[in-house]
Order: sequence, then structure tokens, then C-alpha cells
Amino acid sequence: MIAQEKFVIKGKNTEKMESISRPSLSFWQDAWRRLRKNRAAFIGLCILTLYVILAIFAPILSKYSYTAMDAHAMNARPSLAHWLGTDSTGRDQWVRVWMGARVSLSIGLLAAVINMCVGAVIGGLCGFYGGKLDMIVMRIVDILYGIPSLIITILVMMVLGKGIGPLVVAMCVVGWIGTCRFVRGEVYRLKEQEFVMAAKVLGVSDFVIIIRHIIPNIVGMLVTNLCMAIPGAIFQEAFLSYIGLGIAPPNCSWGVLAKEGIAYLRIHPHEIFWPAFFICTTMLALNLLGDGLRDALDPKLRGTE
Amino acid sequence: MKNKLLALVLIAAMALSLAACSTPTGSVDNDESSAPESTAEETSQEEASEGGEASEEAAPASNDTFPTEGKIFRYAIGTEPTTLDPNKGNSIGDNEIQHAITENLTRNTGGKVTAGMAESWDISEDGTVYTFHLRESYWSDGVKVTANDFEYSWKRLADPATGSPYQFIVGILKNGNAIIAGEAAVEDLGVKALDEMTLEVTLENPTSYFLSMLGSQSNFSPLRQDIVEQWGEDFAATAEKNVYSGPFKLITSENNEYQFIPNEYFWDKDNINWDGVQISYVEKEDTRLALYEQGELDYVAIPTAYVEQYKDQPNVNYFTNGNVDYCYINTESENPVWGNQNFRLAMNYALNREEYNQLANNGVYSPYNALCFPGLQGKDGKTYGETYDVDSYAYPMEGDQAKAQEYLAKAMEELGIANASDIEIEFVTTDAEANKKIAEVLQEQWQNALGIKVNIRQVTYSEIYGEVYPNLDYEIGYAGWGPDYDDPYTYLELFRSDVNWYTPYGNAEVDALLDASKTETDLNARMDMLNEAEQLLIADGAWVPLQARTAYYILDEDVTDITFYFCSVNIDWAYGDQK
Amino acid sequence: MAKYILKRVIAAILTLLALITIVFFLVRLMPGEPFTNPKLPPIVLENLRKYYGFDKPLWQQYLQYMGNLLKGDFGYSFHYTNKTVNYIISQTFPFSADLGIRALCLAISFGLVLGILAARKRGTKIDFFCVIVAIIGTSMPDFIIGACLQYFFGIKWGLFPVAKYQGFKYTILPACALSFYTLAHVSRIMRASMLEVTTQDYIKTARSKGLSELRITTKHQIRNAIMPVMTILGPTVAAVLTGTFVIESIFAIPGMGKYYVESVSNDDYSLILGMTVFYGIFLVLCNLIVDIMYGIADPRVRIGKK
Repeated sequence: MIAQEKFVIKGKNTEKMESISRPSLSFWQDAWRRLRKNRAAFIGLCILTLYVILAIFAPILSKYSYTAMDAHAMNARPSLAHWLGTDSTGRDQWVRVWMGARVSLSIGLLAAVINMCVGAVIGGLCGFYGGKLDMIVMRIVDILYGIPSLIITILVMMVLGKGIGPLVVAMCVVGWIGTCRFVRGEVYRLKEQEFVMAAKVLGVSDFVIIIRHIIPNIVGMLVTNLCMAIPGAIFQEAFLSYIGLGIAPPNCSWGVLAKEGIAYLRIHPHEIFWPAFFICTTMLALNLLGDGLRDALDPKLRGTE
Repeated sequence: MKNKLLALVLIAAMALSLAACSTPTGSVDNDESSAPESTAEETSQEEASEGGEASEEAAPASNDTFPTEGKIFRYAIGTEPTTLDPNKGNSIGDNEIQHAITENLTRNTGGKVTAGMAESWDISEDGTVYTFHLRESYWSDGVKVTANDFEYSWKRLADPATGSPYQFIVGILKNGNAIIAGEAAVEDLGVKALDEMTLEVTLENPTSYFLSMLGSQSNFSPLRQDIVEQWGEDFAATAEKNVYSGPFKLITSENNEYQFIPNEYFWDKDNINWDGVQISYVEKEDTRLALYEQGELDYVAIPTAYVEQYKDQPNVNYFTNGNVDYCYINTESENPVWGNQNFRLAMNYALNREEYNQLANNGVYSPYNALCFPGLQGKDGKTYGETYDVDSYAYPMEGDQAKAQEYLAKAMEELGIANASDIEIEFVTTDAEANKKIAEVLQEQWQNALGIKVNIRQVTYSEIYGEVYPNLDYEIGYAGWGPDYDDPYTYLELFRSDVNWYTPYGNAEVDALLDASKTETDLNARMDMLNEAEQLLIADGAWVPLQARTAYYILDEDVTDITFYFCSVNIDWAYGDQK
Repeated sequence: MAKYILKRVIAAILTLLALITIVFFLVRLMPGEPFTNPKLPPIVLENLRKYYGFDKPLWQQYLQYMGNLLKGDFGYSFHYTNKTVNYIISQTFPFSADLGIRALCLAISFGLVLGILAARKRGTKIDFFCVIVAIIGTSMPDFIIGACLQYFFGIKWGLFPVAKYQGFKYTILPACALSFYTLAHVSRIMRASMLEVTTQDYIKTARSKGLSELRITTKHQIRNAIMPVMTILGPTVAAVLTGTFVIESIFAIPGMGKYYVESVSNDDYSLILGMTVFYGIFLVLCNLIVDIMYGIADPRVRIGKK
């Protein structure tokens, strides 16, 4: 028991009463602050930025065209004239790698983002409302999964022709399913949790529950998923190139370059090394960034250092 | 500490799961077994559960096993044979297998025609009636081969109810084309067994290459009516569901392995040296090469990418098969440039075929500037290439840019086009990697040389052959041509106006020459007619020749008497030997 | 429970029916023809079409196909003319399944271990190592991994057979190559989900109860964290077991993958349909099993609540 007289009234400090010791940060400001502090994630961001800049400018600045062939410089090793060497028809690899980056990065990003958005919305609705809607969508998902994706790709390309657009469309026809199933599962789990229950009991509308409670809790997982989905899309493009359904020649992508290079693995390893290297480092950067973002966006880690 | 424990538990679990899944095949580690044991078990379960499996019950139990020692020849093929039914054979791969397990009336070994199942034959004055006298030989089940087996087989081939994709090959026989068109009954086909050992064949026209074609086209090999009818649709589905007339019999065709052992009832069995031959289907050429290097194969074709590295090694050799690659032109395309002779010639002269071959094929194939394969038979025992000076009338190998510009200028004047850059053409090809590269090289060369715009359209294999070419839905397209028989006609036929296989091209003079050649009995005069037709086609720019396929291969040095042939059968090992 | 499963099975059958119908008509929309011999004269093509019944109206062909399907008969392949689709599947599926099971065992066990270790040792060298493995695994197309494994372990160092599938030694390289992507994927998801679970209240409760770290991890964390992994497993299992074109072609394994891709580019209608039905059955089964397992693994998602 503390004696009453030991307490002394110091009086109100009206000046400091309303001041805020830490700057008020919105959700995104806080996320950005935390992301910058994460060194690995920041490196990832830098690599990606560098690649995007090179993809835009390197082909413009180089003296070689990505289609120009040279019968006297076939399969050349990297040198001052050709920084990354040449391919089997004497085309400069440096230019082709960055032309390929344009295609691969845009396909990867476009397909992954579209798939994520579509999948998250549909999956979220299914998970949240369940019932008949869920049943119907899940049956559609099962059917779509069962149709060989090659058939869909071929049909889409037949209608729309070859190119980046048709490729992305073809990938998106079934691509959203993965995210959809995943988000549905997560939402299913989340809506049973106490804070959602509490919000429901308090009469908060479904919309607000989704915006305020569900989305912040899955956004971290979604971002991780997105970072995995970009390589997935780049791969799928590479696979389609591998079986000859990729983009129309003479355009190239990293997948096309890798496919062309793999035939020479045993004699001209540099032709497979560079595309593989750039695919790999891009994935590395994306993963580092994805991890950082996941941590940065996690509401439970908010405010922690 | 606790974490280590956790790790240990997990690793133990992992090891367990690995061990669990390695058990089924762990015991089978010798390479002679053709499949893991577990797989065999699963297969039977699978069959039981699937319900509607092909019936296996009546298959005779076969004691034939593949030898583990002796003279064994092993190699790998890159396209899976589509069928083991000789009548329905459809590709060189199908035919190569049939060549070893069937014996035709004659046998064509690398272009040398010898007596096969027929001991001798008489040819009528006008060259249309052949009477074959069969020798005594037996099927692999011991039954005698008779003339009826040939008659049955050929009629089955011609019968639309058989559904053979090579049905058209009977067009050479009397009434063959009429039967295909449904205008004559199958019974009217020009083949008749006079008695058990005599077969009379009537041709539509005298055909100089008939005997040579019989020896290499296995569609014409004999078939046993009782066996075919016993199995019905399942005939030749597996090795046991057929009997064999040739030097070898097939003992298995499962899991991508085709195994052959000598046929002890074959008439010439004393000259057959192999104790066993094994053909594996291995899709990727790099993998085939790797298998050779591990000593699993005795012969392998070298992928073009590796030729440069292997060329100078011992045991490496090459042969040129008759497959020639062309760009076909749709002369009736909506794009008017293709109907213009000068434009077509400009395309031909603009192409530097030497450089093209370097870039597109690693310099492995032979650049090619004419139509008929030079290895064909020409006049008086000389080859076609030796008989005629092809280069004197064909397009220059390195192109001729001045001439190309001249032709282009003329074409533009005739078509009323002011700038070359206004010309836009579409090049169609399949999605195979090699074809893509070829398309890119051609695009680059034509764009640079002529200043026109070339677009590439890639389609699937079934689309190009099932739709694009048959419907003439293209402008210029890439495709190959493999000869069916050793005669220039097999190439020239492509450009008849009544044949629209790839191109709608027609030229009355060429048609007249080809028709005349059919009835011409003086072989040298006939050859000159065919050559004249080729020259006319070249002068008209009817198509764009690109390359002849040269295949480099490694063959173990102790293997002898393997022959390579440019049509129908690329590799023929039936009479091969091992030192 | 029985009622629930019955309901799911009926739904699965309806799904399959819809799937077959859609694919049946989709393949006919595809450009091209099953008969693609360039030398085929139109008249012979006409004969072939008649022989295979393509001259009949499409709905008649559909009814006929469905009738045969009920009897378990997928019909004859158009490309491999004297083989039935049933025969091709029964010959090739065992190889694909064998390889797939091996690859899955590898992928799931190593993937989970890596994921759990990385999460437990977050921020350490072990975590970094796991992340690198996962990145290489997910960032290399399988044709590069396959070709590199084959070249280095098979050709250069001669440790394993380069191709074919004739015994345990032959299965190692393809199983590794095939497992790599799934392994990396599983480990990434497991790591993320473990971290997610770590901050949950029941973990704190368990810890304050004085449970050992091992018990917390095995009893609480893994059980809860494994759910997102299971979500991706359904389709993955179906896809891996029914064959993978690239790995099978590199290692010359007589599996289904090749036919799945080739039948489409050959327009081999009956083979495409047969493969699709087979794969569809497999997929629906896998998803059904995953759904049931979901209920077992997560105490909160009770089947009854659905």
C-alpha cells in the first residue's frame, strides 16, 4: 500500500498533451518504412529496377539489332564486341537478353497481376459467402483445371494470333484458379476467427469486414504468392516456347533464349548460362522483395522493428 | 538441442518415405529388364480396374526372349512408330521397322534391288504385266508364304474400309486410283494369285521404278488373312498379334523398346547375322547422343548442333537422305506478288543459300538449289546428279543480288508497286525449333536483300498439314519432301497442276512432259523429259529450294554392312554384321 | 459424413461429365486434322474420315463416344492407328505414376523440412540457405534443370544412367529434376505459413504452459501451418502423377506426359479425350482427398459446417 501523501499533483501540461510522439503513419507509409529498413528486400528492389531500366534502354543503345545475324560470329564467346557472346546464328546475346526481358517481365507481371486480382476476388467471395456460389464456382474450377491448358492456349492463339497479349489471355483463362483456391481457403479460415466474429456481432457490414479485417490479413500471403506467380508465368511462357507455342519469331523472351541455348549446353554453355542467370537473379530479387513486402504488410508485425 | 532432435525426427521421416517409395524397384537393378517390376504389377492392376482393356487372353504364350549376348545391334529413333500394321505404315520410321520384319517380292538394300520373296519374275513386252515366281519361305509361325498372302495384302491396302493413310500408293497398280475414288471394286485391283506360288501384277502404266519401290515400300508386304481376321482392329497392336515374313520377328514393342530376333523360318536365314536388334524410342536427340556415349547404343545420329564438335572423330560418317526442304509457294494466294514469276525469281536469287545453311543448320546440311535429289538414278547407271549439270540451270548457291534486284524491279513494275517496303509477305512454318530458326534466317535474308517485309506465322504440325497446306491458306511455307521411290517423278509430281499437295502451282508444259514420260518406254528419253520439266520449274520460280538433309552419325567400328538409303528406309540393318 | 462424401462424389461425376462434353467440342474447334500426312490426296482423306466416322453429325459422334465411355472404352487413337487409348494409358501411366510418387515424396518431405527449418531459424544462415534452394528451384525451368542434371551427373561425372527407366538407379535423376519445383514451392509456402502461425495466440499459450519447443512445433505449429501447403497439393499431385512432358522426354521415360502434349498437337481427338478423362478423374479424386484431409488437419474446419 502506498501512502496517499506520496502522490504529488504536477499539474496539466497542456502543451504536450495533444502532441504525438511518433509521426502518424498510414498503413502504406508504415509498410514502405519497414520495407526500406529491410536490406535484402531493398537489394531485390534495386535489381528489379536495374533490369527494368536495362530492358528499356539497352536494346536502344546497342549498335546491334536483336535480329541481325552474322555468319562470321556464330556461337562467339563473350568479348568486347559481344558482351555476352552470340547465339548460334551470330545474334548479339546482350541485346537479345534485354529484348527478352521486355517480353518475359511484361508477361510475368501482367499474367501474375491479372491472375491474382481475378483469383483473389472470386476466391474471396467464395470463401466469405460459401454456400451455393462456392459450390458452383468450385465446380467450374474443377472443370477448368481438367481441360488441358494446351488446348486452351492453342484455341486462344488461333483466335487472337501469336504475341504477348494472346499468351497472357491464354495463361489467365486458367491461371486465376490457383490463387482462387488459395484465397478461398484463407478467407474460410479467417472468417471463423475471433476478430471477424467480433466485428460481425458488432453489426459491421460485410464490405467493411472484408476491407478492414480480411484483406489486411491475406495481403501478405498474396504478395508472396504474387512473387511466386511471376516466375510461374515466365516459366509457363518458357514451357510454351519449349513446345513451340510461345511468342512469334523473331521476337524472343527469356524462355525462348533458354530453349535455344539448351541445345548447345555441352559445347557453348554461355548460350544457356545468360538467360538462366537473368531468370534466376530476377526470381531472387522478386523473392527477396516478396519476403520483405510480406513482412512489411503484415498487420501483426506493424509497429515492430 | 531440441531443434536438433526435431531435425532428426524429420530426417528420419524423410528417409522412411524415401525408402518406402524405393522398395518396389530397389531389387531390379539390372539393365536387361525392360521395365521396373512395380510397373508390371501396376499395369495389370490398371488393366483390371480400367475394365475395357484390349483383350489379351488369346495371345499365344511366346518363349522368345531377347539374347543377352552374341551379335546385338542397338540404336534409338526419334519418332515413335505410328503403327506396326504394314499396310497402314505412314512414315519412314514405320517403314524401317517393317523393312526388317517383312519380306517383299524384292528387297531393296541401299538402292540395290535383289530377289526377295519372288525368286524370279517375267515382265511383259509393254512393261505393264509382271509375273512373280515365289520361292519357298515360311512365316514366323511355320506356315508357308503364298501368292494369296500378297493378293490379300494389296487388296486390303487398296480397300477404303482398311483406313490406310498410304492407300494412295496403290495408284501405281491397275485400277488403283479408281478404287481409291470408289469407282471400281477392290476385286478389280491389278493383282492376282495365279496359283500358290505365282503372282501376276498389272500396272496402270509401265513403271521403271516398280521393282525398286516394292523392295523399299513395306506397305506392299504380304499379310496373312487368318491372322488379320483373328485380331481384327487389334491386328499388330503388339508384337504377339502378328506373324512375320521377314528376316526378323518382333518380340516386344512395349515401353518404347522394340526388340527383334531372327526369324528361323526365313528363307535366307543363313545370311542373317544379328542375334538380336533393339530399337529404343528416345525422343530427344541430345539424350540419344548421351546414351551412345554411355555405351547403350551402337549407332546414333549426331544432332546438328554437335556435328561441328564430332565431325573429325573416328567412326563418324554421313549420308544424305532424300529429304529435301523447300519453301512452297501458293501461286494463287490473295497476295498478288506470288502469282508473279519475276517476284518468285527475285526471292530465289536473293537467297544466299551457303550462308543460309551456315546460319540455319550449323552448316551441316547441303544447301540446295534444284528440285530432284541428285542421288536418284539417272541415265545408264549414273546418278541424276552425274547425268545432268544441275548448277548450270539452277539458282546460284550464293545468290545473285544484282539479278534479284532486277527481277524485283520488273515484278514491282508489273504489279504497280512503287516501294519494295510496301510488299509484305507471310511465311508459314510449324512450331518446331529447327523450323523457327530457318524461318528467322530466311526472314532476315529476304528483308535485307529485297527491302520487303516478311512476317512469320507459326502453327502446329497438325494445323499446317491438316489445314494450312490442304486448304492453301498460306502465301509461302516451309516443308520437306521425302521421296517414295527412286525416280525424279516422285519430286516432279508435286508441281503437276492436278496435284495440290502443297502448292496449287500448274504449268501446262510441265504437265505435258510428265504425261509423256509416263508412256515413254525409252528410259533415257524419259529421263531427259523429266529433267526438262525440272528446268522449266526452276526458270519459273515455282518454289524455293533450301537444303538437302545430310545426317552425320556415329557407328561402332565393329559393325558392318549397315546401309543407308535416301528413300523410304534411311537405315537398313537387316543384313548387317558385327566383326 | 457418408452423406457428405456421397454428395461430393455426385458433384464429381457431374463435373467430369461437363468436362468431357466441353473438351469433346473444344477439340473439334482446334485447327487442323488428325490425318496429317502431307502426301494424303483429298480422296484418301475423305476415305479416312468416313472410316473414322467423322462424316456423321457431331452430336451423333458425341452420343456414340459417351456410350463407349460408359463401357470404359476410350476408342482407338487416330495417330497410333492400331493402339487403343486404354492400352496407351495402361502402358504409360505406371511409369508416370512411379516417377511422380518418387518425386512427390522427395518434394514434400524435403520441402516441409526446409520450410520448417527456415522458419524456425529465421534470419540465420540456415534460413538463407533454404531460401536460396527455394529460389533456384522455382527460378529454373524444368528443361534447364533436367538437362543440367543429365549432363553433369549422367554424362560428365557418370554417376547415374543418362536416360531410360529400368531400375532404381535410373529413377534418381528424373525424380530429382521433377521434384525440384514442387519442393521449392512447398518450402516457401511452409515457411511463410509457419511464420504466420508463430504469432498466433495458441502458440503463446502453449509456450506459457511450458511446453517444449519441439512439442509446440510438432503439435501446434506444423499442424496449423500445413494447411496452405495442402491446398496446393491437390492439383500438384494430379499433375505430377499423370506425367510431365519435359522431364519424361529428356530422360526418355515411356510415360504419359508425351502423349498429353503430342495428342494435342496431333489433333488425336480420342487420345486427347482419353487423357483428359483420365486426368479429370484423378484430379477430382485428389481434390476430394485434400478436402477431407483439410477437415482432419484443421480442427476448426469441421466438415459438418460446410
